Amino acid sequence: MWTNRATTMVAIVTTAFTLACVGVFLLLYVNLLAAAGWLQDDVKIMVYLEDRLASDSVADIEQQLRSDQAVASLLFISKEQALGEFKAQFPSESHLLEGLGQNPLPASFVVALSPPFHSPDAIYRWAERVRQVAGVSKVDYNQDWIDALAKVIHSIELVAIGIGVILSAAAVTIIANTIRLTLFARRDEIAILRLIGATTSFIHIPYLLEGAVLGSLGSALSLVMLKFMYELFRQQMRATGRFAGLDNLIAFLSPSVCLALIALGMGLGFAGSLVSIRRFGEAKA
Amino acid sequence: MIQLIHVSKRYDQRSALSDVSFEIGKGEFVLLMGPSGAGKSTLLRMLIGAEQPDEGQIFVHQKNVTMLRRSEIPYLRRKVGTVFQDFRLLPKKSVFDNVALPLLVQGISSADIRRKVTEALRAVGVDHKRDQLPAGLSTGEQQRVCIARAIVNGPVVLLADEPTGNLDPALTSEIIELFKLINARGTTVVVATHDPLVMEQVNRRVLTLSQGTLLPERRVKG
Repeated sequence: MWTNRATTMVAIVTTAFTLACVGVFLLLYVNLLAAAGWLQDDVKIMVYLEDRLASDSVADIEQQLRSDQAVASLLFISKEQALGEFKAQFPSESHLLEGLGQNPLPASFVVALSPPFHSPDAIYRWAERVRQVAGVSKVDYNQDWIDALAKVIHSIELVAIGIGVILSAAAVTIIANTIRLTLFARRDEIAILRLIGATTSFIHIPYLLEGAVLGSLGSALSLVMLKFMYELFRQQMRATGRFAGLDNLIAFLSPSVCLALIALGMGLGFAGSLVSIRRFGEAKA
Repeated sequence: MIQLIHVSKRYDQRSALSDVSFEIGKGEFVLLMGPSGAGKSTLLRMLIGAEQPDEGQIFVHQKNVTMLRRSEIPYLRRKVGTVFQDFRLLPKKSVFDNVALPLLVQGISSADIRRKVTEALRAVGVDHKRDQLPAGLSTGEQQRVCIARAIVNGPVVLLADEPTGNLDPALTSEIIELFKLINARGTTVVVATHDPLVMEQVNRRVLTLSQGTLLPERRVKG
């Protein structure tokens, strides 16, 4: 690595910038995923009951819902409470209901599902099942919103994977070129080593390690850059005051993801070396 | 020790070696003579598996070189020392480190490396230059270091490709004497040269190549 110090430094910094771009998208993806998770956690399903249902039947339905493993929390809203809430929320419209003589609003359960049942499919299946329960008139939730959210998350996933693959290929190429320069600079030494009986692995291992070290250092540097940008961004958000509190919700990559990124850099560096060595080996065979 | 059976090699349309057959026994000292382009270097490169013949078989130390897998070639080269006209020393490594290289690639312990390198450097008379870089040595000394590197792991065969090509007559004599000494210890020596001075100094078997063809053998009276 010290033979071509300038080239090595350029390779580390270029790899760092490339992997930092991957990191930015990863950061964006992780935070959007978390935000989508909060929004999905917030989804409430309304289970409306038939009118004039006996209190025993209401209790049966409540018992059935409480014993359902998909249900995280449950809140009963009686017809009277529903009317009270309507009047409280729309005081100017309350005369409309008074004209009907009797309370037209049904009693209902407000259900929050537990996290394993937050996917659009799981919510749909659960709602369909509960719709069949005797005494339930309607199950309502914002299906369009949940589907749209799932689509957005899926799109972000695809974009992140696409950009990750392209930039990873770029990192491999950068490291492969650096190693190729090193191999070229040491071609006489390699030729001599071959002639005196050095095995292929004896000759190749140092270059493979060099690629792995370059990749790891580039990756570590990219994390430092990313952390710096992340802190700067949070500071800017706090300074503007318009997104108060939001800066605390934006998370940095977890230590395990950071380690995975360094391992990714190491793997890309190793792959870059392997590409160069194979081409160099074919040329010098 | 070395056997070639009907070996031929072509580069594009040009014939480098044509139906060459000979045998060299254990402990022999053989000169491979011929003008530049006669096929001497090609033949030596084939003996260490750096080139493959288009036809024929090559045996070195009971190994069929033409049948060796690529992964087996390094182990053949550890049995065959090679000396080059241009020395091929690593310029940034000391004399000691250059000579230690063949032992290092075999994973030999540092104590053994120290002992064997010292013995080889003493045998060729450059032990006092062990810490110098090759650039600080005369051409004769550089060739001696190259020979020390070729013999440091006790090869059964020593191949030399134009070893005196860059040396004056006095140094040529010294190097030839060194080869004779190495040969006297039991190592088979093959020296490829076009230098008549070498032929005059060596009273040994001569194989002559001319345009890739082996001429009838002769023995030179020194």
